[in-house]
Amino acid sequence: MPKIKKRRLGISIDMTPLVDITFLLLTFFMFTAKFKTEAESQQKFVIERPKSTADTSKIPDKDLAIIKIAIDTVAMDTSYYYEMVNPKDWQQVLASVKDLPEEMRTAVQLKVGLGLLEKLIRQTRIVNPRTRFAIDADRRIEYRWVEQLMDVMRRQHATVFNFVTDKEGG
Amino acid sequence: MGAADFGAGGKQPRQKRGSLAPKRKKKKRIGFRIDMTPLVDITFLLLTFFMLATRLSQPQVMEMSIPPEVTEVEVKESELLTLYIRGDGKIFYALGQQEPKEIPLSELQPLVVRENVRTESRLITALKVSPKAPYGRVIDVLDELNLAEIEITAQLAAKNIERKRRFALVPISEEERVKIGDLPENGNAQ
Repeated sequence: MPKIKKRRLGISIDMTPLVDITFLLLTFFMFTAKFKTEAESQQKFVIERPKSTADTSKIPDKDLAIIKIAIDTVAMDTSYYYEMVNPKDWQQVLASVKDLPEEMRTAVQLKVGLGLLEKLIRQTRIVNPRTRFAIDADRRIEYRWVEQLMDVMRRQHATVFNFVTDKEGG
Repeated sequence: MGAADFGAGGKQPRQKRGSLAPKRKKKKRIGFRIDMTPLVDITFLLLTFFMLATRLSQPQVMEMSIPPEVTEVEVKESELLTLYIRGDGKIFYALGQQEPKEIPLSELQPLVVRENVRTESRLITALKVSPKAPYGRVIDVLDELNLAEIEITAQLAAKNIERKRRFALVPISEEERVKIGDLPENGNAQ
C-alpha cells in the first residue's frame, strides 16, 4: 500500500537572514545617497560633461561657486549659469549686486551674461574669499565660451579653478 | 545564563497571580513567529528606491590655474612645445618655430614625455586652442598631459631631476590659426 503523501500546507521560510541583509543594504544606500540640489532640479538642461581618466580629486562640497556653461534643451542656446553651494553666501552676493530684477533675487541659479557674471564673481570673492570656482561646461560647446569666462576670472583674480569632469567609463 | 536567571525570577510573580486565579494557566511561548513578509516588502521597496536614486558616479574635478596677467616671457626656442587644437578638433604640435604638424591624440602622450625628458624638465608647453574647438577636446588634451606627467616624473626621478611643470593656456593668434588651417580663407589653399 502506497503511502499517501501529506499535503504541505502553509510552509514558512525563515526570513530573518533575508531581512538582515536587506536592512544592511538599505542603510548603506540611505547613507550614501546624494540627491539633486534645488538648482539642479530646476534647470532645463543636461550637461554632458567631458570625460577624463586621470585620477583627479572629487568635487569639493563646501564654499563652492559653480559656473555652468550649458546648452538649453528647449531653446538650443548656450548660456552661462551661476550658482553657489553655500546658501548664506549666495544671499549676501545677491543682495550686494545692484540693479538686479526682483524675481532674480530669490532664484537659486541665475542665467547670466558675461557682464553680470563678472559682478557676481567679484561679489563672491568679497563675501567669501575662500570660495572655490568650478567650471561645469558641456563638452559640445565651443571653446570660446570657456576662453571668455577665463578672461573674466583673470580680471577678478580668480586664477585657480576647477574643470568638472566625469570619470571615463563611469 | 543571565537570561535564564531572569526567566526564573520572572516566574515568581506569575505564581502569585496563579494563586489568585488558578484557572488561567498561561502556556510558555516558545519560538513564536512573526510574519515578516510585509516588512520585507517595504524594505525591498525602499532599497530599490535608494539604489535607483543614488548617483553612483560622482563628478570629479581637474584643477587649473591661469597666470593673473598676460605677460610676455622670453622662451628658448628649443624648449618650447606648442600644441594647437583646430576648430574641428584636430591636434597639431610644433617644436620651437617649426611648422605645426598634425598628431593623433593617442601619440600626444609619448611625444610630451619624450620632449620633456630630452630637455630635462625645462620644456614649456603652451596650449593654443581655436575658439571654435569643442571644449570636450580641450579636456581630452589636458587629460593626456596630466597622464604624461606621471611618466615624466618617474623618468626624471630616475635621473635625479626635480620635475617642475611648465604649462600655459595661451590665446591663439590669427596667423597661427591660418597656419593650422583654422580660418576659412586659408582652408581651401592648404
